[in-house]
Amino acid sequence: MIRRLAWPAAVLAVAAAGVLSLAVGTRAVPLSAVADALLHGGGSPDALVVRSLRLPRTEVGLTAGAALGLAGAALQAVTRNPLADPGILGLSQGAAAGVVIAISFGLAHGFSGYVWYAFAGAVVAACLVYAVAARGRGGASPVKLALAGTALSAMTAGGTTVVLTSSSATLDQFRFWQVGALSGRDAGTVVRMLPFLAVGAVLVLACARGLDALALGDDTARALGHRVPWVRGAAALGAALLTAAAVAAAGPIAFVGLAVPHLARRLVSGGYRAVLPLSALLGAALLMGADVAGRVVRAPAEVPAGVMTALVGVPVLVVLVRRRGAVS
Amino acid sequence: MRSDARPDSRGAGNRATGIRSAALVLRPSPRTSLVLHRRSALVAACLILLLGAAMTASAGLGQTYVSPAAVWHTLRTGGGPYDLVVGELRVPRIVLGALVGAALGLSGALVQTVTRNPLASPDVIGVGHGAAAATVLALATGAAASPGALPAVSVAGGLTAAALVYVLAWRHGMQPSRFVLTGVGIGVALSAIVQLYLTDSELEAAEQVKLWLTGSLNGRGWEQAGPLAVVLLLCLPALVWASRAMRPLGLDPETAAALGVRVDRTRLGLTVLGVVLAATATGAAGPIGFVALTAPQLARRVTRTPQLPLLCSALTGSVVLVAADLVARTLLPPLEIPVGALTSLVGGPYLLWLLGRRTAVR
Repeated sequence: MIRRLAWPAAVLAVAAAGVLSLAVGTRAVPLSAVADALLHGGGSPDALVVRSLRLPRTEVGLTAGAALGLAGAALQAVTRNPLADPGILGLSQGAAAGVVIAISFGLAHGFSGYVWYAFAGAVVAACLVYAVAARGRGGASPVKLALAGTALSAMTAGGTTVVLTSSSATLDQFRFWQVGALSGRDAGTVVRMLPFLAVGAVLVLACARGLDALALGDDTARALGHRVPWVRGAAALGAALLTAAAVAAAGPIAFVGLAVPHLARRLVSGGYRAVLPLSALLGAALLMGADVAGRVVRAPAEVPAGVMTALVGVPVLVVLVRRRGAVS
Repeated sequence: MRSDARPDSRGAGNRATGIRSAALVLRPSPRTSLVLHRRSALVAACLILLLGAAMTASAGLGQTYVSPAAVWHTLRTGGGPYDLVVGELRVPRIVLGALVGAALGLSGALVQTVTRNPLASPDVIGVGHGAAAATVLALATGAAASPGALPAVSVAGGLTAAALVYVLAWRHGMQPSRFVLTGVGIGVALSAIVQLYLTDSELEAAEQVKLWLTGSLNGRGWEQAGPLAVVLLLCLPALVWASRAMRPLGLDPETAAALGVRVDRTRLGLTVLGVVLAATATGAAGPIGFVALTAPQLARRVTRTPQLPLLCSALTGSVVLVAADLVARTLLPPLEIPVGALTSLVGGPYLLWLLGRRTAVR
């Protein structure tokens, strides 16, 4: 019964989160005014707030959340690790480092420019982390992946600091972006994000069957006719692209991709062909919900969405780690 | 630094098998003996010399060049033309750097032994992030009125965070992998809180906090070195116990328990010691990354002991940090890069290279 309700419930959750995001904030806008602003436009303060501030923010939040949820599910399948997440594995930090380098050295302007640097950073991070963790006995176990990801994050943080300490103006610009916040995004960002998201999503979804086979082990997957390195590579590349787009738009946000795939796997059957899209929906709902909660918790100040997801995601991580079998 | 070889280095048995003993036995009196691993002792002696050279070089180099002879002269007589530059500006921070490096090297060796993983470091189990979070909370709420209280606050924060990680990871006993993963998660949550403060405050305060958060020896000296030296001295007996207690932990838990070792208690004791050292070092100089991670591995590569050598890790940590501080000070004059940023930047690739060559990662 629960399983049959999963899809409608997920869609409902996304819609509800979106609507709440449009209505809730320092200036509480009633739902009728929201509908009015969306359908008829107009110049009233409520309409302006909804259309120019909250609509872009909601759009970015939903798409970034979907991207991160999808990337997390793909990474968990590729690494066969229930604790994989773009933040824990260092991809988000790698992408963030790419953006910092691009902006500080004036290599790119605007979203479409530095998203490529974010992608490069995410790919480099993923390769490094996997290479380090896969050495030695036991291959890329959850612990080794997490530690390699942490080491890489510390390294990129050090590098970013060196770049930023030389200029306090850049520090000011970055300290808001670095925390992972959805505020202050402009309307065109989502449109520019879409191509990267589409390619990433297609890559990941095309690998869905391969990921199902991969869960049975490399040898079994090969015996079933899948080309294991290609499946792994394509899924990881897709995850990196999705992470890069999300990070370039909204800053490094962690833990969205951690909890969501677990929930999705429990709610649906049918393997990754179902889990992946559901993870995207749930990721969108989670990030948007976190953003809304962040607006409410410390009103009138805001808690950035990145902080909220970390605060919510860490108890989930602790619970997952304590469960037997999650860690070996 | 005991060896696995038999203590009797003159026995016929050794000659018969043709194995040269690696142990050095000192007999100060007929009833007492001290066993030293020969190679470790040699390495330690070399490291002490290297440390002395690094410290002298660091005292001499910078915007004002001071020759080594003049450095020694200033230190001995306590006066002279270079007294301000050497005696008051450089020597305190060099000494602090050596102490912080030693504490970090020791704590890294302890934590890596307990978690059986060369990628683990005290930062991973939440000490650095806990110290940072406690400091920013104290600054934000105005609880720490005087700047002198901040080191104590950060030590308390580091200890609390590590304790929280331990408690959350404890479930019918302690598993190192659970410990590490919980530490990673708690570290992320704490750093999120720190980031929140950074965006909340005005720019100048944020910049100061960010500089502290990077870990730097700039503007620090005897005030910070004193308490750290005291803590190191107090921990000395515990460290002697630790160097012996660490040996059985190289075995898997079942074998160690069968040999009569109280695995959980030993692990807890070593962890507490490591965390105390790391928290104190962080309180003195801010969170400096990668020294605790790489120094024990570097030391073990040279001494080739089966477990991580404590004394050599401490000395390696000191040398690394003093050298890093020298480079950070002189690389881009007049800008003084915080040493924590430099160690993170250089330590990362080096660690990856080190791990790529040969791993004993479980």
